[in-house]
Amino acid sequence: MTAVVEAINLKKTYMLGKVSVNALRGINLKVESGDFLAVLGPSGSGKSTLLNLIGALDKPTEGEMIIEGTDVSGLNDNQLADLRRRVGFVFQFFNLIPRFTAIQNVELSMSIAGMNKAERRKRAEDLLEVVGLKERMNHKPAELSGGEQQRVAIARALANDPRFLLMDEPTGNIDSKTANEVMGLIKKINDDKAVTIIMVTHDQRLAGQAKRTVQMFDGLIVQDVVN
Amino acid sequence: MKATDVFSYALSAIKLRKLRAGLTTLGVIIGIAAIVALLSLGQGFQNSITQQFEKGFATDTLIVSPRSFGIGAAASNPLFVNDIQNLTQIENVTMAMPVILRPSYVNATGRTYLVQVTGVDFAEYGNTYNSTFVAGEGTIPYSDPPNNTVIIGARIHDPGQNGTILVDLDDNLEVTWTNYTVAGGIPVAQNKTYVGDVSAVLNEVGGFSFGGPSDLGIYVPLSQAEGFFGTDQCDLIIVQLTNSDNATITGVSDAIRSYYGGQVTVTSPSAVLDIISGIFSSVELFLGGIAGISLLVAGIGIMNIMIVSLMERTREIGILKALGMKSRTVLTIFLSEALIVGLLGGVIGIGLGWGLANIVARSGFLNMGRQVGGANQAGFGGGLTINPVLSPTLLAGALAFGLLVSVVFGLYPAWRASKLKPVEALRYE
Repeated sequence: MTAVVEAINLKKTYMLGKVSVNALRGINLKVESGDFLAVLGPSGSGKSTLLNLIGALDKPTEGEMIIEGTDVSGLNDNQLADLRRRVGFVFQFFNLIPRFTAIQNVELSMSIAGMNKAERRKRAEDLLEVVGLKERMNHKPAELSGGEQQRVAIARALANDPRFLLMDEPTGNIDSKTANEVMGLIKKINDDKAVTIIMVTHDQRLAGQAKRTVQMFDGLIVQDVVN
Repeated sequence: MKATDVFSYALSAIKLRKLRAGLTTLGVIIGIAAIVALLSLGQGFQNSITQQFEKGFATDTLIVSPRSFGIGAAASNPLFVNDIQNLTQIENVTMAMPVILRPSYVNATGRTYLVQVTGVDFAEYGNTYNSTFVAGEGTIPYSDPPNNTVIIGARIHDPGQNGTILVDLDDNLEVTWTNYTVAGGIPVAQNKTYVGDVSAVLNEVGGFSFGGPSDLGIYVPLSQAEGFFGTDQCDLIIVQLTNSDNATITGVSDAIRSYYGGQVTVTSPSAVLDIISGIFSSVELFLGGIAGISLLVAGIGIMNIMIVSLMERTREIGILKALGMKSRTVLTIFLSEALIVGLLGGVIGIGLGWGLANIVARSGFLNMGRQVGGANQAGFGGGLTINPVLSPTLLAGALAFGLLVSVVFGLYPAWRASKLKPVEALRYE
C-alpha cells in the first residue's frame, strides 16, 4: 500500500483578527490508498484545517503536506487548482450551486476539468444512479432534502475519479436515519471503488464505522487506532 | 474549462437575476444609443451641409465683398462693375464677374414675397456654376439675353415643393425694390417696379449657396440690374482662378486685398468649407463626449452591480475553486458576465440609437428654416434634409466602446473574485 497523503510535522497558524491561532501544531499522518479514515475531535481541535490542507485549499505554515508524492507548499495557485481536481470534497452544508439542477451540479466539476458535454452528461447520470438519485436529477437543491443534496454532493465529488474523498461532517446537517443511508453509501464507495476516504466528524458513532480513527485535540493527533 | 462552458456559466449567473442584469444593461443601452443617435445625426447633418455647400460652391473661385455691409452702403462700397478689367490682370485669375444684389419684393397670387434679385452676366455665371445655374424648365439665354429676362430659382417657382406653382415659366413677374438716392446729404428712398418675363426656372440647388445660385434667387442680366438699380457698383465680385491650390488662393486673395487697399473681404469657398467641416467635427466630438459620459456612468453601474454580485457569490466562488477551478477561469467568468452585458447593451443600443436618429430626422425637428414670414409677407424655406449616417466606423466604434467600458469596469470586481481564497470564500456567510 502506498501513501496517498502524508503530513510531516504539519503546522498551520492563521490570524483571527489580531489574534494568531495555532490551528495545527505539528501533525504527522500517513494515509494509505483505499483507507477509510475518520478524524475525530471537538470543535476547534483543527480537524477542518487539516482537511483543508489535505484538499489543497490552503497551504501549511510549516512542515510538509505531501499529496501523491507532491509537497503542496511548493505549488502555485494554478498547480493547487489542478491538484484539487483530483480530490473530491464533500461539505457539511453540501455547497451545491443553487441555480443548477442536481445533474448540472454533478456536471460542473467535470466541466471545470474540461470534459466535453456529452461525456460528462452520461457520467453524471451514471453517478446519480450510483447515489440513487437518477429520477431526481432535474431538481434543484432547494427541491431536494438534506440527504438527497448530500448524495448529489457525493456524486459531484466522485465525478473526476478522485484518488481520495475528503468529507467535512458529511452527515452533520441531516437527520440520523438519512445519515445512516449516506454513511452506507460512503462505505460502499470505499469498498466498491477503492476510493480513499478521509472524513472529519465529531460523532464517535460515525467514526466507529471507519477503518481507522484519528483523534485530534488542540491541533495535535492524540490517538490513532485501527478499528 | 472550455470557453463555451465559461460562457454558459456566465450566462446562467446573469439569467438568475434578470431584472438586475436588465437594468445594468439598460445603462449601457442608453449610453450607446445616445452616442449612435447623436453621432449619426451629426454626421448626417454635416454631410447634408457639406453637400449643399459643395453644390452651391465652386472651389476654384474667390468671392470679393465690401468689408462692411449696411444701408446706403454705396458710400463705403469700393466695388465697381468695371473693376473686373483690372482684377483679371492678376496672375492666376482667368475671369472676374461682378454680381449686383438687391433685396426686392415680388408680387404673386396677391401676396408679397421678399427675395434677393441678383444681376449677373449669364454666360460667365453659368460657366462658373455650370452644375447649378442650369435651367430645369425653359432656357437660359446665356448670350445676349433680352432686356426683361428673369430667371428664377426652384423655390420661387414652387415654394412648398408640392406642385403649387407660385411663379411659372413665361409669367410676367413684378419686382419692386427701393432705390436710395442721396439728396443734400440725406438718403431718399424711392420705390421702383420692374416687370420681367420668366424665361427659365433653375434646377433645385438645395438649402445653401455661397456666391452661387440659390433656390430663392431671381436672376436678371447684369446690364439690366445696373440700369434699374441705378448703380455702377456691385455687391460681390466672383473671381475665377486657374486652379484651387492653396498657394493660388492665398496669392490672389492678397493681390485683390491690396488692390482695394484692404477695403474688401476676400472669401475662399473652399476655406469656408474647411472651417465649417472643422466646426462640425468639434461639435460632433462634443456631442460624442457627452454621450460617452453617459456610457461611463453605465460602466460604473456595471462595476457597482458586479461588486454586489461578487459579495453574494463569494461562497459560490469558494465552491468553484474547491472543485479545482483556476483563478484565471474565475476572472474570465466574471469578465464574460460584464462582456455579455456590454455586448447586449451595445447591440440593442446601436439599434435603438439608429431608430431614434431616424425618428428625429423624419420628424423634421432638425430641419432648418422651414417657414419664415410675417402677416402679409411670406417667406421661403430653405429645406435641408438630414439623413443620419451610421458609418461602419461609428458602428464598430460604438460596439467596441460599449464592450471596452463594460470590460474595464468589470475588471476590478472580476479580479477581486479571482483573488478570493478558497477556504475563506467557503466560510463566507
